[in-house]
Amino acid sequence: MEILGLAIVVVLLLLAATFVIRFLLVKKSPEYRKSFVSAELASGMINTLLKTTSQSCSKASMKDLLQDCATTQSLVCENGQGSCDYFNEAANGILLQTLNKWNYKYQFTAAVGQESTFVDIGSKCISEKKSETYVVPSAISIEVKLDICG
Amino acid sequence: MRKRIFSRKAQIQIGETISVIFVFFILLLIGFVFYAKVLKGNAAIESDEMAQLRSVEIAQRAMFLPELQCSSDVTDSKNCIDKLKIESAKDIMRSKEVEYFDIFGFAKIKIAHIYPSNPEEEIYSRPLSEFKNKFSTNVPVSIYDPVAREYGFGLVSIETYS
Repeated sequence: MEILGLAIVVVLLLLAATFVIRFLLVKKSPEYRKSFVSAELASGMINTLLKTTSQSCSKASMKDLLQDCATTQSLVCENGQGSCDYFNEAANGILLQTLNKWNYKYQFTAAVGQESTFVDIGSKCISEKKSETYVVPSAISIEVKLDICG
Repeated sequence: MRKRIFSRKAQIQIGETISVIFVFFILLLIGFVFYAKVLKGNAAIESDEMAQLRSVEIAQRAMFLPELQCSSDVTDSKNCIDKLKIESAKDIMRSKEVEYFDIFGFAKIKIAHIYPSNPEEEIYSRPLSEFKNKFSTNVPVSIYDPVAREYGFGLVSIETYS
């Protein structure tokens, strides 16, 4: 009789333990907003940045500045800066007021082919990252990439 | 004498049965308390999920609002806000508060100009003073000036409350 009671207690304890493991370890709140924000942020940042008109560089867009920087470097802005310096300064300012302000770690790069990177802002992501790549169509193809870490 | 011994044995057995039943009910009670806690936790997770989805929905609505979006045929209207429409949108949203409350609910929508200048404009503001959840979503947008035909870099900040 006592053994039966003990067996029932053990069965109940086992059931309770299974229940605890199932609900406490498996169930996690899904992060719909986080995935939406990171997906939207990387693509939005890169597209908007490249479309932006420069303030004192013959009304050239950031995309035009990148193209000039990667090819002839003939453009001289009203403040005397070349296209590369002007782009770097403007992009850095925008990234400082956005991703840096929200404590995101990121790496923004522009490269011709695989090796010659001519714009590199931020630091390399160590683990997980959300990447967005945009290819600027020109005589030589420029690959603009934004990695948002985490 | 024999009857007394049997009576004592029966008393011990009754005592054992009562203690087993007592332990059983204690375990059952613990089980119910735990189950209630799990149910409560699940309800909180579901409520959080709903708040997150609502926040994403409001952000999407704000991004595709015709009152703000670029409308020229030549410009890409996705992630683009017409600079000249901002002032009018602010006035419309203020005068038709009830209609816009149906669209955005308890939220705050701001447009910040990042490049070249740096002003911030609040176009909709219906915050909750006491809230359980507050989500902030920042979406980068181009701010198009149709007069100068220039694109600026801006941010639409959407704060949702629940």
